[in-house]
Amino acid sequence: MASVSELYDVGWEEMRDKLRKWREDNCRNSEQIVDVGEELISDHGSKLGDDVWIIYEQVMIAALDCSRDDLAITCLQELKKQFPDSHRVKRLSGMRLEALERYDEANKYYEAILQDDPTNTAARKRKISILKAQGKTTEAVRELNEYLEQFVGDQEAWHELSELYINEHDYGKAAFCLEELMMTNPHNHLYCEQYAEVKYTQGGLENLELSRKYFAQALRLNNRNMRALFGLYMSASHIAASPKVGAKVKKDNIKYAGWAANQINRAYKLAGRGTKENKCSMKAVEEMLDSMQITMS
Amino acid sequence: MAEPELLLDSNIRLWVVLPIVFITFLVGVIRHYVSILLQSDKKLTLEQVSDSQVLIRSRILRENGKYIPKQSFLMRKFYFNNQDDGFFKKSKRKVVPPSPMTDPSMLTDMMKGNVTNVLPMILIGGWINWTFSGFVTTKVPFPLTLRFKPMLQQGIELLSLDASWVSSASWYFLNVFGLRSMYSLILGQDNGADQSRIMQEQMSGAAMAMPADTNKAFKAEWEALELTDHQWALESVEEDLMGRELDFDGMFSKELPTGIF
Repeated sequence: MASVSELYDVGWEEMRDKLRKWREDNCRNSEQIVDVGEELISDHGSKLGDDVWIIYEQVMIAALDCSRDDLAITCLQELKKQFPDSHRVKRLSGMRLEALERYDEANKYYEAILQDDPTNTAARKRKISILKAQGKTTEAVRELNEYLEQFVGDQEAWHELSELYINEHDYGKAAFCLEELMMTNPHNHLYCEQYAEVKYTQGGLENLELSRKYFAQALRLNNRNMRALFGLYMSASHIAASPKVGAKVKKDNIKYAGWAANQINRAYKLAGRGTKENKCSMKAVEEMLDSMQITMS
Repeated sequence: MAEPELLLDSNIRLWVVLPIVFITFLVGVIRHYVSILLQSDKKLTLEQVSDSQVLIRSRILRENGKYIPKQSFLMRKFYFNNQDDGFFKKSKRKVVPPSPMTDPSMLTDMMKGNVTNVLPMILIGGWINWTFSGFVTTKVPFPLTLRFKPMLQQGIELLSLDASWVSSASWYFLNVFGLRSMYSLILGQDNGADQSRIMQEQMSGAAMAMPADTNKAFKAEWEALELTDHQWALESVEEDLMGRELDFDGMFSKELPTGIF
């Protein structure tokens, strides 16, 4: 099997830089990390200097994702040799046990860490993910709530909680979590869009209006968010079709829906330019928009 | 009255000015590393971490509350500021002022601070004064009054000498403060050799103690939050958005990334 460096004709420095970029961007492309990282460690381990430890950690977590227990054990042993008393390494041992579904042993590791250092957030979060993996969603939600009472600033946790609530169809509470995220990251269009979707799912005139506003906000933050554009179209047409609205609101929403439909058409035209099938795909878009029209029943 | 210009021996420059610069700089670097070695870890309690995060959340609510719907903002403001059981009203933290008597670790910290900073300065200042005494080292570029003479011209007994001519001890002190920017360049921002910053910290640190801050911080946040109003940023978002066409530039480029590199 050809090695990564042969396939792409890159040197070890580029491989190391690529791993660093993935680390910084928090990418979860585990197979690629395993391919690049394994080769980097085995062939160029000595040249890496102190970087090698963080690469071990990165590769180990990716190996757990790909079920490569052999690689995970190798990395873990190297880290244990270098940092014998580290909480961070203990957490990695716990993660390996989780990957092997030995949840009780993993829990013991995390309890030990927490005994030593009650402020350690990583161990608490791992315990919650064990509950999630075992399917005990209600307990996971409860533990996560307790965790968030102490560490209100943990955005990853808020997002996880909103996901859990969405799975449980508790949209009101999911909206609360997303509001926290929107406040801490006001320029992130994805949170606005997700919030708008939750509000749309909740239904009811007020929520639909809110969702339309937040879809518009997501579009304002990022003009290319097609999902938000479709959401805007849907929520506006939904409001316009509702029997309870006044004439002015109806008119406004029809205007919004019309504008959104225009933009969608423009986008598809732009996407298909230069291709032969453009006319057919434009017609398909028109039909799709018509079919999505919410008619009063 | 025009001053006759004094011409200093160029040996002074070679054997006095430069060595003092080097000595000061090296002593500063050594101080930095010693302070790192002697540093004790500070362990934070769960409550302190939690409180600091709550304060951050409240501040974010004040600053970015306009991005969430009015109802949600009011709900959170109520949670924090409610008369009877709002978080800021209800939580009282135990206040233990860290005076040197009660808290032994504070005492050792102070001692270490003194040893690493003040002591070397005094010692070296005295040594330089003793070694390089009896002659004028340099001239400060601005005129000084006669009152500065006894301070700046330590070993020189000349009544008529202009106060701008200073001795080596004052050149040493000039260096101590002047090399601060060099230290930041070489040792990074938070370095232990930064004399004046440490003195500032000592002065302000004596006035405010950390845990007592929490109660006061809560009170300050409560007041600030009471004053905040909700100005929804999304009032006219649709009108703003539809004022112009959406910008799809570069959305459908022909290039797709292939493979890892």
